[in-house]
Amino acid sequence: MSAEPILRVRDLSVGIAGNARPILADVSFDLAPREILGIIGASGSGKTVLSRAIVNWLEAPLVVTGGSVAFKGRDILKLSGGAMRATRREIAYVGANPMGALDPTLPVGPQIVEKLHAVAPEIGREDAKRRVITLLDAVRIPSAATRFHDFPSQFSGGMMQRALIVDALVSNPAFLVADNVTQPLDVTVAAQVLRLMRELTVSFDTAIVFISSSLPTACDAANMILVLDEGRVVERQQKDALVANPTHAYTADLVANTPKIWTGTTPPRTPPVGEPVLSVRGASRSYHVRKRGSFAGTSEVRAVRNVTFDVHAGENFGIVGESGCGKSSLMRLLSRLERPDGGQILCEGVDMATLSGRDLLAFRRTVQLVLQDPFGSLPPRTAVGAMIEAPLRIHGLGDSKARRERVVAMMREVGLSPELYDQLPLGLSAGQRQRINVARAMILEPRILIMDETLSALDQAEQFKLLALFETLQAKHGLTYIFISHDMALVRRTCDRVAVMYLGEVVEISRNERLFFDPGHPYSRALLSAIPTLEEKRYRTEDCLLDGEPPNPIDLPVGCGFAGRCPNAFDRCRVESPVLMARGNRDLAACFLVEREAAPVLEEALA
Amino acid sequence: MEILSFLARRIAQGLVIVFLVSGLIFTLLRVVPGDPVRLMAGGMAPEALINEIATKMGLRDPIPIQFMRYMGHVVRGDLGESFVRPANGASTGGSSFDDSTRGARAKVLDLIGETLPMTLQLAGVAVAMALVISALIGIPGGLAPGRWPDRLAFYVSSVFISLPNFWLGIVLTLLLSVKLGWLPAIGYGGFAYTLLPAFVLAVELSPVLIRTLTGSLASIMQEPFIAVGAVRGLSRRRIIANHALRNASVPLLNLLGVQFSGLLGGVLIVEYIFDYPGLGLLTINAVLQRDFPLIQGIAIVTSAIFVFINIAVDLAATMIDPRLEY
Amino acid sequence: MSAVDVVAFTATPKRSGSSISQRIWRLAVSSTEFRIGLVVFVLLALAAAIYPEASGIDPTHMNVRARLLEPLFIGDHWSIAHPLGTDQIGRDMLVRCLVGLRYSFLIGVATVALMLAVGCALGMLAGYYGGMVDTLIMRITDAQLSIPMIILAIAVLGVSRPTIPAIILVLGLSSWPVYARVMRSVVMNERGREYVRAAQIMGASNLRIMVGLIAPLVIPPVIFVSVLDIARMMIFESVLGFIGLGVQPPTPTFGNIIADGRKYLLDAWWIATMPGVFLCLTLTSINLMGASLERARHRIFGGLA
Repeated sequence: MSAEPILRVRDLSVGIAGNARPILADVSFDLAPREILGIIGASGSGKTVLSRAIVNWLEAPLVVTGGSVAFKGRDILKLSGGAMRATRREIAYVGANPMGALDPTLPVGPQIVEKLHAVAPEIGREDAKRRVITLLDAVRIPSAATRFHDFPSQFSGGMMQRALIVDALVSNPAFLVADNVTQPLDVTVAAQVLRLMRELTVSFDTAIVFISSSLPTACDAANMILVLDEGRVVERQQKDALVANPTHAYTADLVANTPKIWTGTTPPRTPPVGEPVLSVRGASRSYHVRKRGSFAGTSEVRAVRNVTFDVHAGENFGIVGESGCGKSSLMRLLSRLERPDGGQILCEGVDMATLSGRDLLAFRRTVQLVLQDPFGSLPPRTAVGAMIEAPLRIHGLGDSKARRERVVAMMREVGLSPELYDQLPLGLSAGQRQRINVARAMILEPRILIMDETLSALDQAEQFKLLALFETLQAKHGLTYIFISHDMALVRRTCDRVAVMYLGEVVEISRNERLFFDPGHPYSRALLSAIPTLEEKRYRTEDCLLDGEPPNPIDLPVGCGFAGRCPNAFDRCRVESPVLMARGNRDLAACFLVEREAAPVLEEALA
Repeated sequence: MEILSFLARRIAQGLVIVFLVSGLIFTLLRVVPGDPVRLMAGGMAPEALINEIATKMGLRDPIPIQFMRYMGHVVRGDLGESFVRPANGASTGGSSFDDSTRGARAKVLDLIGETLPMTLQLAGVAVAMALVISALIGIPGGLAPGRWPDRLAFYVSSVFISLPNFWLGIVLTLLLSVKLGWLPAIGYGGFAYTLLPAFVLAVELSPVLIRTLTGSLASIMQEPFIAVGAVRGLSRRRIIANHALRNASVPLLNLLGVQFSGLLGGVLIVEYIFDYPGLGLLTINAVLQRDFPLIQGIAIVTSAIFVFINIAVDLAATMIDPRLEY
Repeated sequence: MSAVDVVAFTATPKRSGSSISQRIWRLAVSSTEFRIGLVVFVLLALAAAIYPEASGIDPTHMNVRARLLEPLFIGDHWSIAHPLGTDQIGRDMLVRCLVGLRYSFLIGVATVALMLAVGCALGMLAGYYGGMVDTLIMRITDAQLSIPMIILAIAVLGVSRPTIPAIILVLGLSSWPVYARVMRSVVMNERGREYVRAAQIMGASNLRIMVGLIAPLVIPPVIFVSVLDIARMMIFESVLGFIGLGVQPPTPTFGNIIADGRKYLLDAWWIATMPGVFLCLTLTSINLMGASLERARHRIFGGLA
């Protein structure tokens, strides 16, 4: 790396006009040709502002208060509008919001051509178009020449991010700023995009400033890592050294709080084998959406397909999957917000679909749900006590004095100060708010608590505290938990058994240890390979995941839903859909490869 | 193919709407007090004659039967005959007794056919004027939220929307026509007669357009792709012209569809003020004369036009923004 | 997090703790436009409330000797007792305008209240239940929206007798669809929120969720916007008066005064124009307030709805 750096940032400071507190203070670094530099920091650390400052794209009220950003020896911060626009050919930027980055009313391809034409007017329209199609092909967008004419809304998030990478690279820039590019994407798609970016830097000779809030992601992408905290560069090290010996407290925290999957110290709990309290038998749910361009036709989105499993008393059961896999629809079925349109869900032997009126109200006292959004799930302008008391009032339990006592006791139990009783939940942290939600669910003394992404809005430390609370509550009340999550690390820490969902189906049900060390379904393996961790990876994305997108749930392919992305797929997978098959020790997976191990004896395995 | 099935669906929906509207007006006109035959035959007519005429015209049958009979004619393209207007043109007065059942009465369809083009011309000019006014005031407002062009747009739209059309018509006639003699105002004797009424309509129409344009443009300018356009190397002018205005025009188009019935209401009054021989004047006279078949016919035709315009607007909006469903 | 968010994050440290409607109200009231509107409106309202009785002038009192007086300081044929002049039979224009303002405003408010009640109730049902209920209600609103309401109004008032309750009923029942539509879309949006789901899982009934939870959140912003419709309805009231289908003379309304004055336009321009200026001033003041509220709502909802 002895070459002359292409980007030289010196003492860069950025502030808000009329406000003394700097957002960035004296940031300096160099970027060598073909280098990938990782920059990490918490939200609010100024990394997004930095990413914009180095491409000279700050908007009022943000202003550069000092320092320089020299690109090939010229300070781009001092360039005029026109000159800067010409320089954009050399400096590209990809942001965190792929779906919002292009005009939704125009096709993707022509917009990339428009950009190329704006920064490189000498390239003719036809040449530009050809070049864009070639590149769309290079980022592995299938049938690029057709997709060229598709609109942004017809692209998935991952596909769109690829198109934007094309948009950035189409003018052959000298460097590219990638600001949190993988953040909005599902883990497996993010892993694919990351892999693509690494390849492209080599083939395009482009240097990358890779900005991320996730240390593992940055380490995956870059060699040198720069840590930003409160607008200052607090640490700069090679990634291995950084992980091994973080010098700054923030970095040390970050490293310590990055979840461990395989080297963790969590002693695997032996799952209690109680009575099944919840039995899902072939449950299906479809939604009808109006079919585009038909007289009165509807298309069927099969959100949950033929799902079967048991949850046993006292167990921690996990349901994982990426967005669109049907886990939220399944949650709505399990909590009887909706009825399945096929199959049954039995709660303590009773078919939930048949419940109504008084019985349904009674059922609500057995199964409760804690939702994801700590802000949206609480009614605004209601005092904390009244909120927790509401279920008691609805169910007509106790007089007002008894209710109040019960609420206060419950607040203590979940770690909320009783002083909050008469207060509005203003200024409460996400963690506190989730405690209110837990209290509100627990006040009815349910036997089953469904946690729908309950912890995903919380930071690591809060997650740990709430998990400890869940354990205490479980020990005291004999609760059964169902965790619905997209976060494999969380599932690893909390669940005894895990169901993995893909395209509305459960593709694997395994005990915790088995799932993480010997997954039975190739999709589970792909998920594991994509978990952002700092550990030595047990599975590599390169081996576990082909390029390709999850199929559209409206036009489900024949055969296995994962076949298109599965490195192990063979002919049979494309014509026949595998069902869950036992693979010993009550673990199940829906893959033909398992068949070699055992026969499909589903009912036996469940018993 | 998509467009064809879209059209089929929307036309089917439109027919339902037209049917509902006809039913509503039909029932309303027969439920409210006031006997049209009395008006038709004149105040002096003996009761027996009135009953005779009414029975002959089927006006004493149950309403659903009357309605189905009427719709049966409508389907065959027959909107019936006016109660009071003779076929030769001028309307007959209702106060004197003359047996209008004997003379040939004007076909509703013909009456509408004569006046509709006049009204379409007026409405077209008005919409064009309104669009120009709104663009001139609304676009700068939307590009500078919170600053003076935005405030100007705000005040202009607030004042415009507060001007009652009939009063503005009178004042403008007084000023521009009577005092200054710049423009002709009353009646119709050529295209110039359209300008003043159209301007009054444009003033009535533009506040909502200005507000929508300002609002939608301002919020489009907040969209990520506008900001990202700058870092992608597009010039501001290009971003505004090619992308922001394009996106902002969608709500404007939809609004035009919705505003249609408001526009027609305005046309009514403005034609009345300016004695402009269009559908509006016809409507007011029909109402004042309780000319039920004519009111009925006008309602059907206007709701059909409403349906048609909304289909056209949706089609145009879908062409601009493919995310909107057919 | 975009740069703008970063700024918002650092510049406003605490989320404001008030409800959305309070925030809309405060934002609107803090604008110059709203204040101008408010001051003008209060002055006009006070005048309308006090002056007709205080001056002791009967709006229908004819005085042939004082006929066709010009407004104050305009021309040379005016009287201090009749600041806005008199009409062709010597009735005082100012008192007539102020009394007209009373009728106009009361009819406007009553009409809007009726529209709100019907529109919000139907919109709530359509948005909450969806499905067939929704389809049915939306088809009815479509049909209503496709007939120009003024045609409907004059058709009905033209054949029946235009009394004040009839006017309110006709105007109110012909304009509710807009509210039903707005309400439907907000409720649909609200219905998918987590707090609604949380209430369902608690076992709360649909009625409880609609009336107790959703309504208090979504109705106040709709009421804010309805201020604009008060002005719109006042215009319609005056239009009806103008074509002779409003409140009947001798009760003065803006519409019938202007219609009267139109006959004397060339000789006594003020009879037709003065009430218009009055009406326009009132409407502008209401519209300034209404539009400020609407703009505030737009800003706080971020362009949604």
